Amino acid sequence: MSVSAGVQPGEGEPAPVRLQLALFISGASPASSRAVRRLRDLCDRHFPDGYDLEIVDIYQQPEVVVSRGVLAVPTLFKELPLPVRVLIGDFTDESRVLAALGLPTSTDS
Amino acid sequence: MVTSNDVHDPGDRSGLELPKSPTGITGFDEVSKGGLPTGRPTLVSGPPGAGKSLFALQFLVYGATRCAEPGVFLSFEGSRDKLASDVRGLGIDLDALEQEGRLLVDAQSMAREAVATGEFNLEALMVRMAFAVDKIGAKRVAIDSLESLFAAFSSRPALVRSELLRLFSWLEDRGLTAVITGERAEDTLIRHGMEEFLSDCVVLLDHRVVEEVATRRLRILKYRGSTHGRNEYPFLIGPDGLEVLPITSLGLYQRVNSERLSTGITGLDEMLGGLGVFRGSSVLVSGTSGTGKTTIGASFASAACQRGERVLFFSFEESQWEIMRNMASVSLDLAGWVDRGLLYFHCERPTTQGLEDHLATMRRLVEQVAPTLVVIDPVSSLSRGTSRGDVSAMLTRQIYYLKSAGITAVMTSLTEGGNDLEHTELSISSLVDTWLLAITMQTSGERNRGLYVLKSRGMAHSNQIREFLLSSEGVSLVPVYMGPDGVLTGSARAAAEAAEADLGLGAEQESSQLSEAMELRRKAVQTRVASMWADFEAEEALTARQITSSKKREQVLRAARLEQGRQRSVKPEDRP
Repeated sequence: MSVSAGVQPGEGEPAPVRLQLALFISGASPASSRAVRRLRDLCDRHFPDGYDLEIVDIYQQPEVVVSRGVLAVPTLFKELPLPVRVLIGDFTDESRVLAALGLPTSTDS
Repeated sequence: MVTSNDVHDPGDRSGLELPKSPTGITGFDEVSKGGLPTGRPTLVSGPPGAGKSLFALQFLVYGATRCAEPGVFLSFEGSRDKLASDVRGLGIDLDALEQEGRLLVDAQSMAREAVATGEFNLEALMVRMAFAVDKIGAKRVAIDSLESLFAAFSSRPALVRSELLRLFSWLEDRGLTAVITGERAEDTLIRHGMEEFLSDCVVLLDHRVVEEVATRRLRILKYRGSTHGRNEYPFLIGPDGLEVLPITSLGLYQRVNSERLSTGITGLDEMLGGLGVFRGSSVLVSGTSGTGKTTIGASFASAACQRGERVLFFSFEESQWEIMRNMASVSLDLAGWVDRGLLYFHCERPTTQGLEDHLATMRRLVEQVAPTLVVIDPVSSLSRGTSRGDVSAMLTRQIYYLKSAGITAVMTSLTEGGNDLEHTELSISSLVDTWLLAITMQTSGERNRGLYVLKSRGMAHSNQIREFLLSSEGVSLVPVYMGPDGVLTGSARAAAEAAEADLGLGAEQESSQLSEAMELRRKAVQTRVASMWADFEAEEALTARQITSSKKREQVLRAARLEQGRQRSVKPEDRP
């Protein structure tokens, strides 16, 4: 994992490092598909500069599930920018997702 | 290894017996009559620090190493590395077991904070379990613990519950023997309403503090389809992990040894059939303070060292130097044996650690030193801060352990003043083979030591109380003076013995006079007998003469009658 030195991300400041996400879902279940769609839509809207999203099917890569200690599905890891944050749930609470991803929550959204 | 076959239970029919998986936990397999139910989940419940994780891990390691049953350990209690280092001290090498594919540890800490953003499920739990089980072909699994899972997803207890139920039924479908750990709530076996789903076998572990000393207990609360020991059993976490101490089901398998060992005290050997105690037996020396218990223990030790054997001396009241100095005053050169590497001391205050830890230490040292004789001075101090039942259970196990190893155990026990002497506070008296009671006898302004053999199995032993003398020349037992005035010891004994010697002289004179008188009497009787005999002979001769003359008279009379008849009748010959 490449880490840019001296980065001090904080609330309210745009992250200088490209957003890197890993999402764990369970196969092709409708709930999983909905969660993926919701995340993509949200990121497309709030991260116009682009982002990397790796999708892991827990049934396809169980060893990664073990190594990352994933229990809940869906689980999203915000790998970069640091610090790493873990999000569980299907992203319906958009303001909490944005806060966890390091974006200010707009009061009107 | 204890299997269900080793447990004698006439009520069970082998054909109906539930298949069981041994845990390898010393004592537990005896209590549970073979182990945990094969193919079913077992709940191990207890407060934090009770040893639940260790129970689970030992069950897996035993299966992996002894039963060819690979195991999966799914832990939410901490990282894998921490777990590995925790159990390394117990001789469990997780890395090696994992490399050999006999064990798979999937451990993580749930401390990480996650942001909940909406609906989720816990499908990954099942995925992880299935992945691990399939990877090594597991037959046993453990989940440690339910509590940490519920805590991590505290907002969704129903979700955790339903996911766990799915997991348990999957485990049962796959025929996996499982151990699931959980904390105990106030009035239920475990929290979160899981107990109704984990009711095949429930093991409770407890960890309570009685008078500032921690004691551990285990109880099998239920075991569907099987009999089991229902008591609360003390257990300890020793060098080999958990050890349950089921006194009631202690096997009596130890081989006996008829070799006799000198006690190091001449008079005492005499009291014990002239030969001393049996090798590998257990000897209890009890008495009030100042009766010489430690000295007796030291004598046993010294005698063993003299035979070239190793001795391990546990002292819970005095330091090694104090004991060596004090014993030197009665000519027991313990320091010399220490220098020659035959005598090992382990001195520790009883309060430094809990009872089970003391016993674990003792066992470890016994294994290191490999002694033939162990002295524990005194066992009674171990009872400080612990309930009596605990100590007796622990000591029972210890005595059993030493016996099965063929090690002679000499234990001293302090009887508190005012208590019945023939009663040990620790209730171990029925377990020991030889019980020596050291007493004090107070007479004529003196306090003297006495010793008697209360019991000694398998040998003729003296019923006497002997006086126990400690002097700079050594330790010895002398017969007490037992006279019409009772038992005398000390100077009173010496005085009585002297008085008896005087009396003896007088008696000797008296008896010679008596025998002279008797001789005279005999002569008198002999004379009388001789004269009576002479009288009788004279009488006999007279009678004989009278008989002869009366016969002659009869012949004459008959001849005269015949003559008269012949003259009167015709045929006198035909008449009678």
